[in-house]
Amino acid sequence: MATATTEAASAAGLEDILRSRKIRKVVVLGANGTMGYQSGALFTWAGIDTVFLARTAEKAASGLAAAQKAVRSTTVADHVRTDGYDALEAECADADLVFEAVAEDFNLKNEFLERIDKSRREDAIVATVSSGLSIAGLAAGRSASFQKHFCGLHFFNPPAVIVGTELIAGEHTDPEVIDFLDVFCTKQLGRVMIRTHDTPGFAGNRIGFKVLNEVAQLAEQHSPLLLDKLIGPYTGRAMSPLATIDLVGWDVHKAIVDNICEKTTDEAIGTQKLPDSMRHLIDQGFLGRKSGQGFFKKDTELLVLNPNDGSYTPASQIALPDMPFISEIAALHNVGAYREAMAKFVAAPGDEAQLAREVIFGYISYGFCRVGEVTDSIEGIDLIMGCGFNWAPPGVLVDTIGLATTVEQLEKCGLKVPSVLEDALKAGRTKPFFADSRVNTGKFFVGR
Amino acid sequence: MSNTPEVYVLGGYQTDFGRNWTKEAKHFVAMIRESVQGGLASTGIDASEIEVAHVGNFAAELYCKQGHLGAFFLEADPAFSGLPTSRHEAACASGSIAILAAGAEIEAGRYDLACVLGFEQMKTVNPAVGGDFLGTAAWYEHEAQGIEFPFPKLFGKLGDEYDKRYGLKDEHLAAISQVNYSNARLNPNAQTRTWYMNEHHACSTGDNNPIVGGRIKISDCSQVTDGAVSLMLASRKFAEGWAERRGVALESIPRIKGWGHHTAPVRFDDKVAESRNNKYVLPHVRQTVVDAFHRAGIADVNGVDAIETHDCFTTSEYMAIDHFGITEPGESWKAVEEGKIELGGANPINPSGGLIGAGHPVGATGVRQCLDAHKQITETAGDYQVAGAKNIATLNIGGSGTTSVSFVVGVG
Repeated sequence: MATATTEAASAAGLEDILRSRKIRKVVVLGANGTMGYQSGALFTWAGIDTVFLARTAEKAASGLAAAQKAVRSTTVADHVRTDGYDALEAECADADLVFEAVAEDFNLKNEFLERIDKSRREDAIVATVSSGLSIAGLAAGRSASFQKHFCGLHFFNPPAVIVGTELIAGEHTDPEVIDFLDVFCTKQLGRVMIRTHDTPGFAGNRIGFKVLNEVAQLAEQHSPLLLDKLIGPYTGRAMSPLATIDLVGWDVHKAIVDNICEKTTDEAIGTQKLPDSMRHLIDQGFLGRKSGQGFFKKDTELLVLNPNDGSYTPASQIALPDMPFISEIAALHNVGAYREAMAKFVAAPGDEAQLAREVIFGYISYGFCRVGEVTDSIEGIDLIMGCGFNWAPPGVLVDTIGLATTVEQLEKCGLKVPSVLEDALKAGRTKPFFADSRVNTGKFFVGR
Repeated sequence: MSNTPEVYVLGGYQTDFGRNWTKEAKHFVAMIRESVQGGLASTGIDASEIEVAHVGNFAAELYCKQGHLGAFFLEADPAFSGLPTSRHEAACASGSIAILAAGAEIEAGRYDLACVLGFEQMKTVNPAVGGDFLGTAAWYEHEAQGIEFPFPKLFGKLGDEYDKRYGLKDEHLAAISQVNYSNARLNPNAQTRTWYMNEHHACSTGDNNPIVGGRIKISDCSQVTDGAVSLMLASRKFAEGWAERRGVALESIPRIKGWGHHTAPVRFDDKVAESRNNKYVLPHVRQTVVDAFHRAGIADVNGVDAIETHDCFTTSEYMAIDHFGITEPGESWKAVEEGKIELGGANPINPSGGLIGAGHPVGATGVRQCLDAHKQITETAGDYQVAGAKNIATLNIGGSGTTSVSFVVGVG
């Protein structure tokens, strides 16, 4: 059961669910932060009156200005009022949905959730945008009514552009609340909803940051320039992994993988361990793009980090091995020959090609192995990787590469063969794993 | 015309118009391949069954520096080697002209199964350069050369002509824009499905909604879009066999029941001069619609359940409202105010979002309209379904009201 919309539920059934509640007023906490004001704009897109709250009324007003800029419309203000947290209790008293988007800090969130609990209407929904904190942990100690109406609603940044959204029920969340938010966000906010379990990093970050971090680990032995070419867009992503870490921010990356390593374990948890080199450099102020120092640095020309000592080398002075398979595969993607392209990826000779396969098949293995743990089925994992990360989802890769070839490659790479794939192979499955008509799978295979 | 052999519409495939194929580093061959393979898969037709292909495209010579586009159909599947193909161009009506050609060949009994493909890759150049390319759909030397964004200005003049003859309020144009954007939210293939838009925004002017020509603001414009659409057209003979193997009744398969096709003088001022004493501003467009209704055996616009029209600008949809006969000439605003054109209204226009909401990959638009008609009639349009739709009319226009093609697609 990935989403309500993929269930057999009839359109009429969905309409009934949508009508079961009215969302007339939303209160957004942390409305001066990116996730706060961009999510706030999303509610106004649906024509809902939205209150932007922040530390001060001025900060909330700056959030509104930022929201107007982000969606390029001053009409956001038609549906928005702004205020400081002094007004929290009064505003929450008649809100239908309270959306918490304060900083990703457990104690801080806890403090605000307690205030919301005391002031909210009995039937009001409370959602947190947390990207990986425990929903059960955040709900602990709150009133029974709060726990019944509390869940995670994880928009991906920036929500105005990325539609994939995780919906996470806590231990005591009323299933009706989850069903309603699923349909409401799909129909009214244009989201692609994925229900995940309450596990560290949920589904998207758990799987996505495994790949990003593994490549960061490899950067202690290979140049970041080589790695971002090797695991580049041609492998099924809009942006290369290390450039992505620079964009996300090294501190955010660290918080996500540290949280996952601390709270969970699995067959490949070693790949989630932050490389020591990154930990040291973060202490020295390396935070990616926002500090101007990451795996890459823009000067008059592109500079590339040596993670072991923090020095930079001009990209033009780095000798890369000959990797003709990359341009050959990209050329096949360029004309839409995705199966032929991935067949070439599987067959490409040389150590570099093998390294690329270990990362990509590692992603497939890790994704399918999480079925049952982070979502009920592969559909949810596929949707969040496709619609949240803009990466070719594991299921799409298996469909494109072929089931038997995938299993063969997993074995060759010494990776765990997920039971879902093993069983499918035994059963002679021919049906594709990914078949969501909302998504053109060809878009993931980039011709460079 | 009861003696004309039927042309059945079996289905097809539209690519997601939100995609930017240049950012994906793709040649247009990739979108041809995806849309044709998607069409084959969704109709259960084998590539070897296609007997002829007609490609609609406006200006790949300019956008992609590539001509001879009919030949590129063969890149979609190795089985197509040897297939007869051709390319059709009539500016923004290219796709419909390709459908007309394919339909005529089926009517003539030359072939039993044709694939029509419309495509355009437009994001290869910046908007100013693209605007100049689009100027070649007008008389370039007289109407476009040296003019920044010539087409908004030409369709701004259409609004001005309405204003002069009957009066026109910009708020009605803004409402048309809003209906298209709002329908687009329901269409998973629409380019603007997540864009921020509302009626207040459409009425506003300024940095977020600047004027691009005359009375035309950004919110009045259709989009610059990359996309491809395939459509399978079949003779009765093929459709009978296909219906049997798909387990559907022949009567449930949509047909092209009627068509209209006229061309007006290419210069906008010449069109207006010609229609000076006519109650319709673009009488050849009116005749196109009337012909399609007549050939379909439909008395008037109330004989169709919805319309997919050519809203390259809000003024073109404003014109379409009275030219389709939803109102008396000059009174399109009444249909807007009464909510007739909205999804759920008496005469829904562009349930898909149209060119403003769904997007406008020029050569693909006419094919996209007919595929959307097919989706409506087969009840597969999802959230933008018009309940119980049996007949849908399309109107596809090239240039400033120059080449007009209309189809009635339906069952029964």
